Amino acid sequence: MMYHQMPIPSRSEHLWRYTPWPRIHPSKPDSVPVADEVIFTSNSRQELTEAPHSQKPQGDIARAFLQAAGGSSSQILLHDETEAVHINARASGHVAVGHLHLEVKGSAVVFLHISGEPEWVGLHITGTVHPNAHLAFGFINELDSNTKFLRCEDWGLERDSSLEHATLSVGGFRCKSDLRTSLNGTGSSVRQSVTVNADGTRHDDEHVEIHHHHGHTQSDLVMNSACDGSSHFIGTGLLTIAEGANKSNASQVFRNLLLSQKARAEAIPELEVLADDVSAAHGAASAPVDDNQMHYLMSRGLDPQEAQSVIVNGFLYDAFSNLTNKELLEEMRTRLTVHLECELKR
Amino acid sequence: MADEILRVEDLHVSVEGTPILKGLSLTIHRGEIHAIMGRNGAGKSTLANVVMGHPAYEITSGNIFFKGEPLEDLEVFQRARAGMFLSFQYPAAIPGVQVGTFLKKSVASVRDDPPKGRAFRKELTAAMDKLSMDKSFLSRYVNDGFSGGEKKRLEILQMLLLQPHLALLDETDSGLDIDALRIVAQGINEVAADSACLIITHYQRLLDLVKPHYVHAMIDGAIIRTGGPELALELEDRGYDWLEVTA
Repeated sequence: MMYHQMPIPSRSEHLWRYTPWPRIHPSKPDSVPVADEVIFTSNSRQELTEAPHSQKPQGDIARAFLQAAGGSSSQILLHDETEAVHINARASGHVAVGHLHLEVKGSAVVFLHISGEPEWVGLHITGTVHPNAHLAFGFINELDSNTKFLRCEDWGLERDSSLEHATLSVGGFRCKSDLRTSLNGTGSSVRQSVTVNADGTRHDDEHVEIHHHHGHTQSDLVMNSACDGSSHFIGTGLLTIAEGANKSNASQVFRNLLLSQKARAEAIPELEVLADDVSAAHGAASAPVDDNQMHYLMSRGLDPQEAQSVIVNGFLYDAFSNLTNKELLEEMRTRLTVHLECELKR
Repeated sequence: MADEILRVEDLHVSVEGTPILKGLSLTIHRGEIHAIMGRNGAGKSTLANVVMGHPAYEITSGNIFFKGEPLEDLEVFQRARAGMFLSFQYPAAIPGVQVGTFLKKSVASVRDDPPKGRAFRKELTAAMDKLSMDKSFLSRYVNDGFSGGEKKRLEILQMLLLQPHLALLDETDSGLDIDALRIVAQGINEVAADSACLIITHYQRLLDLVKPHYVHAMIDGAIIRTGGPELALELEDRGYDWLEVTA
């Protein structure tokens, strides 16, 4: 269905409960503004090329809107890459939209760094990881603190392929992400981590879907958020294991650290398991800073402010602990360190 | 007389309204090693925690002095900076915080003239060698996934680096095999030579390796007998019932 044919989704839907579509739309839901292009640049020997806009009818309103809004459309083909590929997505203007497709046929490490000061940015990333290919993908959101941001991602993993996916979300004042991965081939696996640092009135809604369509597939999701001021974080997960996808192994953990009385956080993992012989686990916790950790650090001479800062930083770093790709892990931690040091100086 | 490091006077302490310490007095001087033994629930760990300033404990009466100064107005971190150290029975895990980073911050917070850069690394390496600790410890997260023995070694490593004037060791020997116990005891002896040391333990085996000057038997929130190293042997042999009868 195309955007104008779609009804506005009801708040009773899991996906739109906490950030209804009208709150993330750039203006009024019945309008599609003329979008500027998000400019993609890359350091890779494999060039980013222009790609035709997809005309395929979309299944949900966010993707249909991004399709209708147009903007830029690029693609990159990756084989065995000896160096990490850094893609910069620069957004400007009133409304900016970009579409990026990654085709992965070997082992590659890719970082996508989005920045800029537009009022609204929409990004739709799609990717296919071919049989026996491996992608480590880091997404860094450092948009201006006044920007509204919609991100959709759709990943398809073929037989024996793997995706390690890390998100560092520290930019934008209202963000909605809808990240979907389909494990389409036997032996495919995804490790995903999301780290969110929210302050002021920042609102960040991260929805992660992982669909096990075949047996012997694995998924592991860790989502950590630290919320200060009167910020609001929402982490929702949907994990499905299809009928017959036996010997699948899935785990989802959501942890929220509440740093002020007014900060709010929701952690809602959901499971739909239709296969018999699987292992699926999920957990969620929202809590203030642990008193025992504070006491321990203070007994080692750190004042209360330093102790809390060490605990919060560690908590955010820990979200990346499920990643095994060293380059991805180091870069995400470095980006997080830079962000936290800049925050300290403010 | 040697310098007085810790003086506890008729201390009464409650937790959530329940009295735990009921008139405990104790004085420790520089260079002295004191051991406290007692049944579970006697108040041994409470004493260590309240001296270190844990906010869950309420001092209902009595006083604590550190190097002649009252402690009551000092927060936990100020006590640490003044030279007090508690080796925890159950140290907290801090996921995401690497041991190396934590040690550096801690040393910088506590010591007046902390070693920097290469000097710090040299000192750290020397201390880790003494405790037979592998360098891989430094990149692990603080106490996260550590075995009982690893946690205790990390506590002693911190003690060596922080160079406290008063070391409170709360069941540092629990969870250690005999080789680890010997290594940890070496670390304690090194620090104890120039500081005051209070060891809380259930067992004689640590006291075979770290010779106490005084042993205190504690029952129901108070010290009811003080003796030399022979008291520890007697307690291990006879238990605590006979003390209640003679008290």
